[in-house]
Amino acid sequence: MEQLERLYYRWFPEKLLGEVLTKRWSDNATPLFAAVLVIGFFLIRDPGFFSLGSVIETSRQLSEFAIIVVAIGIVLLAGGLDLSIGSVFALANITALLCMNLGGWPVWAACLATLGVGVICGAVNGFLIGYLRIRAFLTTLVTLIIIRSIVDIILLKYAVPISSAFPDSELWYFIGEGLVFGVPFSFLVALIVIAAWHVTLTRLKFGWHISAVGGARRSAYNAGLNVRRTVFLTYVCSSVMTAIAGFFFAARLGSAGSDTGVGLEIAALTAAVLGGNSLGGGRGSVAKSVFGALVVLILTDSLVRIGVSGGISSTILGLMLLAVVAIDVKWLKNRHKILNKVYVSPTYFELPAMPETDEGTDSPYALNDRLRAVTLIGKGEIEGPEDVIFDRHDNLYCPNRHGDIVRFKAPDHTEQEVFAHIGGHPLGMAFDSEERLNVCVGGMGLYRIDPDGQVEKLTDETNRSFLSIIDDSRLKLADDLDIAPDGRIFFSEATIRYDMQDWPQDALESRGNGRLICYDPRNGTTKTILRNLQFPNGICMAGDGESFFFAETWGCRINRYYFDGPKAGRVEVVIPDLPGYPDNINRASDGTFWLALVGMRSPAMDLALSMPGMRKRMAKRVARDEWLFPNINTGCVVRFSADGKVLETLWDLGGENHPMVTSMREHKGYLYLGGLYNDRIGRLKLDGMDDGWTSQDAYWGSK
Amino acid sequence: MSIFDPILTQWGRLTGGAREFSVTVPVMDGPLKPNDALEAAHRIASMPGSANLAARGNDLIFSRGRVLCTLAADGTVREEESFEAEITALAATPSGDLAVGLAGAGVELRDRDARRRIGKAGARKLHCVTALAFTPKGLAITNGSDGVAPADWVHDLMNHGESGFVALQRAAGDARVLAEGLRWPAGICATGADTLAVTEAWGHRILSVSTEGAGVTGILLDHLPGYPARIVPRDGVGYLLANISIRSQLIEFVLRERRFLRRMRAEVAPEHWIAPALSSGHSFKEPLQSGGVIRLGIHKPWAPTRSYGLIVALSEDFRPIWSAHSRADGKRHGVTSVAETRAGIAALAQGNGDLVLLTFDGGPAKEVTMT
Repeated sequence: MEQLERLYYRWFPEKLLGEVLTKRWSDNATPLFAAVLVIGFFLIRDPGFFSLGSVIETSRQLSEFAIIVVAIGIVLLAGGLDLSIGSVFALANITALLCMNLGGWPVWAACLATLGVGVICGAVNGFLIGYLRIRAFLTTLVTLIIIRSIVDIILLKYAVPISSAFPDSELWYFIGEGLVFGVPFSFLVALIVIAAWHVTLTRLKFGWHISAVGGARRSAYNAGLNVRRTVFLTYVCSSVMTAIAGFFFAARLGSAGSDTGVGLEIAALTAAVLGGNSLGGGRGSVAKSVFGALVVLILTDSLVRIGVSGGISSTILGLMLLAVVAIDVKWLKNRHKILNKVYVSPTYFELPAMPETDEGTDSPYALNDRLRAVTLIGKGEIEGPEDVIFDRHDNLYCPNRHGDIVRFKAPDHTEQEVFAHIGGHPLGMAFDSEERLNVCVGGMGLYRIDPDGQVEKLTDETNRSFLSIIDDSRLKLADDLDIAPDGRIFFSEATIRYDMQDWPQDALESRGNGRLICYDPRNGTTKTILRNLQFPNGICMAGDGESFFFAETWGCRINRYYFDGPKAGRVEVVIPDLPGYPDNINRASDGTFWLALVGMRSPAMDLALSMPGMRKRMAKRVARDEWLFPNINTGCVVRFSADGKVLETLWDLGGENHPMVTSMREHKGYLYLGGLYNDRIGRLKLDGMDDGWTSQDAYWGSK
Repeated sequence: MSIFDPILTQWGRLTGGAREFSVTVPVMDGPLKPNDALEAAHRIASMPGSANLAARGNDLIFSRGRVLCTLAADGTVREEESFEAEITALAATPSGDLAVGLAGAGVELRDRDARRRIGKAGARKLHCVTALAFTPKGLAITNGSDGVAPADWVHDLMNHGESGFVALQRAAGDARVLAEGLRWPAGICATGADTLAVTEAWGHRILSVSTEGAGVTGILLDHLPGYPARIVPRDGVGYLLANISIRSQLIEFVLRERRFLRRMRAEVAPEHWIAPALSSGHSFKEPLQSGGVIRLGIHKPWAPTRSYGLIVALSEDFRPIWSAHSRADGKRHGVTSVAETRAGIAALAQGNGDLVLLTFDGGPAKEVTMT
């Protein structure tokens, strides 16, 4: 049973489900599925439906219909609703026919006039809704009736003359019936319109404004967007595009029937919502609208073909609208719940036996009181000093959770100032040979600060892996770095699945979600060098110029990676079985290494690691604050030698001062302690260590 | 109960926790709204290792291991008598009657004319006496479980124990079992001439039990947020209920995870289980929950916790009317016994050994008179 479980968790890509759901395109799954189903059904029922002539005719209808659905999709995206498009369509149709058949205008003039009518209709809607802020539903319902009446009045007078006259224009007939490379002209125009709107909505400022207004009107207003104008413009765009469709309709059929465009708004609305555009606004795309248009058009056409009467076909459409609206509401409401339930995807992991830590045993990890003697720096004044480091003038630098690098001035480190503000949550730090401070910033990437406080971004992305669903090119949680003698910066990204504030959740998965990355300042390239590591952390050069140590926090082990020399590219495990979760590693003055344990293993958590099913159910059923967690309330400092022998452990029994230790730095005979969730920095006098040693000298030589 | 019940049960299991697979825990709200009353209460004495607080007239009695101790009204502690086994429950009357529950050895009963050892109730051995109460009909006894010693109560919880029973020793004759198959009955008191209230710790409820052989006659209070322990009547108006700890979603969840539970019981030391405790935070090997992470030096009072201090005052009809708490960031956890004195409510926190005195200040006006 356990064997099976282990195999399942090793090979079944369960985590992908959650990752797909985080994507906006996952909304398209339903309409795509519906499209395939509908097309497949009618392909079997009626193969003639897909003959060449039929497809061309359908594509003409489709181009008109798709333009209208895209138009209504834009209004929906901005949080509005446009019911008047059916009437605007009819009015555009009649305008074009009046200009061509009766007025004898040239095609371009007729086209302009038609579009002008569209602009006027849209402007009326947009003014009433955008500026006067009347409800969209009522307003467009009223304009629907008024515009329809205008059409009826025109029809009463001109229906007969229009149908008896024929315009004398090749171009007019070409627009209606012509083919370009075997493709209907109107279809090409539709493609262009669709492509243009796709680019607008996804890439251009105006499109983003529309999404922003629809997604959260108040926030958009607070962000300084002109909400009223944006809403106004969506109605204008919608009506103009409807007018384009009406123009094509006029050119294709040349008929001034009184039922033109009747019920079109319901069909278009059904198509838009079926495609996945949300009625609530803020969620939608051109692709969704086109999908919806395709499905609805094929459905209605096919219903006619198989002999379903008009009334029944309308009923079917109406029921479909009702159904998709219901699904839309439910989906929007519950999507994040489903995502919450399935995103955390634990895997099987068995830790080696936990070494003894009890007081009085001869274990190197035995509990003691050696951190009791720390003095505190900046207690209550600093929030979240993950790492501490010194420059050549003994000034102390530490990051805080507000995104600053804070400097405590030498010699007594009581006076503090903000050295630089980066943003994000700065974590690991290292000085390079030119006294510049290199910082890994959680949520942002790798940054460098000049001695005068100038911040410069080094990199925030790496090569994307080929088959990754979530975008792993961005650096989500860069956490520690060190610099090779040749200037290359090796840094770790703890996890690609969680953000800064959710990092301990990664422990529930205990999958290798992290990676090691190398930034080469000589040519500015960033490259991933190792993947699938369990929360890699604590990069520290071994001092031989060809390898560094790094910790895998959830794996409770220390590794050594060779980037140069005969073993280049190899990883060796140095300490396989720590009693806690390792974080930063730094050099000690005697050639050994300091290691911070951010938290300690607890037997119940260790057991849960080997039972992924249990952890998964826990993540689903238990509230997040109640989840079983790695114990990061107790930490300690360990010193180990390059061959992996643990030499000593420094504990704070009772955890009064340093419940959590994420980093430590030796400097001139003292050890300084930092902690991600702490509000203080600890300082401990070391016995028997070199009083003059600084890591700056050890790395880059004395100056 | 219908034929669909098993199907619905399995459905609940599959869909992530409905019906008995639900891990939801009653919210502490209304009269149970968390406060600091227990943590801020006046400390009379610090006596780690003590338990089983009970009132005897104006004095308080309690146990310290095998020794019965008295705390006089003037604050002096006197060791009264040592027994051959760990004391697990105490009860006394103002007139001097005394009953002492002894681990594995039954009940020592001393009244005016005799001292007796009650070792059995019917055919069942009284080796896990959890609570005693003198009632109009005789001495009421609860036995927590068949296979577990009183100090190992957590094993019984994690084993889904339901072998507890209630017995009654009348003035004459042998003790008789009144109700059995209970999930760790941990407190008992008389509610009427022939009815008893029995707290069922792992059932999170208070049951009504008849002294006349009718067994469990009803549920007085259900869906408690904690594991109820001792219950004592308050001078004619309602009752005081002590609690071992409060329930938590994670523990409820673990109780339903059979395989994990089995392995945890086999492989992990009991003090490091995901289970309720009388006190916590002593070792990093104890399980930590997400909300319990210390940030910027602060342990959140609302953090999920294994141990908790909770006293609930109940009205005559068993509705909660007031409560005193020691929350996750406090130390006065594991208040398993309370007693009423003229000065107020005395509570013994087994978590850190504090004996505290607090006054009732949250209830309706007529309740305040007791101070």
